Amino acid sequence: MKPLDRKLWRDLRRLWMQAIAVGLVLGSGIALFVMSTGMYGSLERARDRYYDRSHMADLASALVRAPDRVGRELAALPGLAAVETRVTGIGLISLPEVVEPVSARLVSLPAGRRPTVNDLVLRSGAWPDAQRSDEVLVNEAFAEVHGLRPGDPLDMLLRGKRRVLRISGIASSPEFVFAVAPGDILPEPRRFGVVWMGREALGRALDLDGAFNDVVLRLTPDASARAVSADVDRLLAPHGGRGVYGRDRMLSARYLSDELSQLRTMASVLPPVFLLVAVFLINVTLSRLVATERANIGLLKAFGYRNGVIALHYAEFALVFCALAAVLGLVLGGFVGGYMADIYRAVYRLPVLEFEPGWATWLGALGVALLAAVLGAAVAVARAVSLPPATALSPPAPTHFGRLGAGVERAARRLDARARMLVRRIVRFPRRSATTVAGIAFALALLILSDNFPAVVDRIISINFGVAQRMDVSVTFAERQHERVLRELARLPGVEAVEPLRTAEVILSAGPRRQRDALIGVPEGAWLNRIIGEDERPVQPRADGLTLSEGLAGKLGVGVGDRVRIEATDGRRVAFEVPVVALIKPFIGGAAYMDQRALGRLLREPERIDSAYLRIDPAARDVLAARLKGIPAIVGVTFADNAEASLRQLFDQGTGFFAFMFLSFSLVMAAGVAFSAARVTLGEQERDLATLRVLGFRRSEASWVLLGELGVLLAVAIPIGLVLGFALSQWLMSEFETEIFSFPFVFDPPTYARAVLFVVAAVVAAALWVRRDVDRLDLVSVLKSRE
Amino acid sequence: MSAPRPPVFEVRGLERTYGEGTAAVHALRGIDLHIDPGELLVLLGPSGSGKSTLLNILGGLDRPTGGSVRFGDLDLGTADDAALTDYRRHHVGFVFQFYNLIASLTARENVELVTEVADDPMPADEALRLVGLGERLTHFPAQLSGGEQQRVAIARAIAKRPTVLLCDEPTGALDVATGVRVLESLVRINETLGTTTLLITHNADIARIGDRVVRFADGRVRSDEANPTRVAPSELHW
Repeated sequence: MKPLDRKLWRDLRRLWMQAIAVGLVLGSGIALFVMSTGMYGSLERARDRYYDRSHMADLASALVRAPDRVGRELAALPGLAAVETRVTGIGLISLPEVVEPVSARLVSLPAGRRPTVNDLVLRSGAWPDAQRSDEVLVNEAFAEVHGLRPGDPLDMLLRGKRRVLRISGIASSPEFVFAVAPGDILPEPRRFGVVWMGREALGRALDLDGAFNDVVLRLTPDASARAVSADVDRLLAPHGGRGVYGRDRMLSARYLSDELSQLRTMASVLPPVFLLVAVFLINVTLSRLVATERANIGLLKAFGYRNGVIALHYAEFALVFCALAAVLGLVLGGFVGGYMADIYRAVYRLPVLEFEPGWATWLGALGVALLAAVLGAAVAVARAVSLPPATALSPPAPTHFGRLGAGVERAARRLDARARMLVRRIVRFPRRSATTVAGIAFALALLILSDNFPAVVDRIISINFGVAQRMDVSVTFAERQHERVLRELARLPGVEAVEPLRTAEVILSAGPRRQRDALIGVPEGAWLNRIIGEDERPVQPRADGLTLSEGLAGKLGVGVGDRVRIEATDGRRVAFEVPVVALIKPFIGGAAYMDQRALGRLLREPERIDSAYLRIDPAARDVLAARLKGIPAIVGVTFADNAEASLRQLFDQGTGFFAFMFLSFSLVMAAGVAFSAARVTLGEQERDLATLRVLGFRRSEASWVLLGELGVLLAVAIPIGLVLGFALSQWLMSEFETEIFSFPFVFDPPTYARAVLFVVAAVVAAALWVRRDVDRLDLVSVLKSRE
Repeated sequence: MSAPRPPVFEVRGLERTYGEGTAAVHALRGIDLHIDPGELLVLLGPSGSGKSTLLNILGGLDRPTGGSVRFGDLDLGTADDAALTDYRRHHVGFVFQFYNLIASLTARENVELVTEVADDPMPADEALRLVGLGERLTHFPAQLSGGEQQRVAIARAIAKRPTVLLCDEPTGALDVATGVRVLESLVRINETLGTTTLLITHNADIARIGDRVVRFADGRVRSDEANPTRVAPSELHW
């Protein structure tokens, strides 16, 4: 080993604490990078592979009823690679252990072949025997929750008729990565499943023999979705076609793309912040090293070592830090990524979802580590190289200090000498002070940002279930019902209040812009299910026009006063024009709203409702559930507490886990920055502190200068970090916003207080840790050595 | 004839060993010494002879491993860290070869650092005037020459009116002319304030300014002789 290499290793052993601090912060950044970029890529690839392999539909349409020949006409249309006509419907499953009704989406399987669009992946068991009409497949999530296995019976109610079917296999489908019950926005596998049945058997059961009521389509690569949609709509219109929609209106696909976009936001925003702080830390540590190695640098140069060799020697410190960080980051990122993939697999039913960051991510991570090393080391190495040997060998002149501005000096005169030392040092080294302040402020901001997420979720949930949806139970009907059903519901045991809801799947258009969405009719004076605006106040949709979510209004390019054309895709399929009378920003689910009765009149289906909300006596819950289960017209019953739990689970498992990891890394970063700042400050003040001790200052008095400087920098950093955290949270929440969820900006004082408390604790702990070195200062050797 | 005043330091059989076993280094091997109030004592010897070790022990920066050393009633060998800190705070002034000024404080403020915590200090300006720096009060160390910096260090050491002033090669980093000015300051303080002063040097010529010269070699006192006359620093040549 060359002497310089030996020196490197010995010096590194001396600097091990700083190496660990830098390694941890940079390692966290790299781990975050690997995890988020890798997870984004893995999820996207898994989705695309799945969609591709299973021929995920590009377009779909529901219709009332069309004879099979229309399917052949559809297949002949240009631009379509595959057409699968299907029979679909809703059935009820009787599961003895579940008190509330369990419904299932029924989807037909073509006879004697696999679906050419939305093909299934068989997870276990076998495909239904074409010769047997009672064999079905059920979706994986549902089977798992209820412990169903191939061979098990399935007790179903199809159009009022009870049938005992047999599960031949468990399957998953790209169409139901997220299986969401009608009327719901979240998957609840406990009470909603997907059942695939032979086309003939299901057709017979649903009175759709020789006909279909659903079609899924795949486009050829060069086809125009718009043109094909128009053709399909035209063909299906006489058969009650409800309008073709793309993946953007397929709930499952939407969830996936929302998750992907949130992951992308995290991957692009968060790791750079860590890397930036790591660069700061490397810079501070190496600058300090070069300052203490001044004489050695002069000596090496005097011996004839070339600048390049010296530059490399000091750059190697940074490279070793980064190698350490890279190993830590890659291992940790890979490990956490793998764990995250497990979680995602449980939420998203993708048949193959492995954490495969890919070479690009691994190399990217290494590149990022190297970049941090180079950026962090550049200034310090340049300083080492530029030191002329003679200057380096002579003791450094005392650092130049000047008097501060007259005003500051006047104020400083009231301070004692130690306080003046402190103030002048901070002002004299603005860049170093700023670096420490920035590091602490960033750490604080990141803590706020990551710790704020659970508060946001709490707020979404508390607004949704406390302010907006105050019902205990929501009931979805298989078919649209007359309002008098409300009176029957009110008579059920334990029901204290009933409220209707009318929903219509419509196409809204303004000029050339068309958007398919739900138009929701809210009754006047609704109080069980209220639309809540951004200001958390209930909004009463009006009878004289549309109340639009801002997102939808933006897509349509309309504002208050503009007129929007509405085409109903079901029922009487009327079309009419209404003005926009208000814009709101709802918390969950953005759509269009109107007064229920006015909407019924416009749709020429007055007094019809799709769902009902109940307020119940909790004691009567089980009795009521059993009664609801026995009513065939009801396909969905959601208890608000279950819905709340599944919403929370959705957050916790997906983004929530990421937020948790991020919080952990932020804690590491705050501690790393605090320690590094304390260590470097001590390094710079060592001689002054020793001088103070020799002059007779007690340990506590001498430490005051060290702790005081950190304290002042901390005090400056805290407000900056608070503001930064506030701004970052606000920005990130707006980045997170999807069509389904609007992320409110939540100012949660306890989050900020916790973050400040932790950062203060980290700095104090680091300072006290380093302060022990003040106690151990070898006064004689410090003072007798040249600086 | 007045009764002899008690010595400032009473040193008996003082030993200091660093390390253990075969690696042990015996820095002091049984030193006996007493130092009277107001004396200007020069400790002379080559490097490694033990003079700095003795000075550090006398200044409460290091502890002996054997023998005893007393400052009045205080046993410096057994005093705890807090007691030694108080001892330094109230009784000792240090001057090192490297000045160890606080770069962020002006000359006056460096001195005030001490006067703020001392019991009966002289005004900082007066201490600086004593070392001939009355005009440089508001200069920062970086704006002062080496000799000036060393004189600020001396002013800082004497401003608390210490009982003893311990100087470890105070002219080691200075040229002759500057060194002479620094020594003049030390002599003036010794004469005007009566501060007991110990001065380490390896320069035999400088030894002539003291009342007494103690020669060190190999951790032992080789000789302890009074100078017949004290020579003024301005008459020195080295």
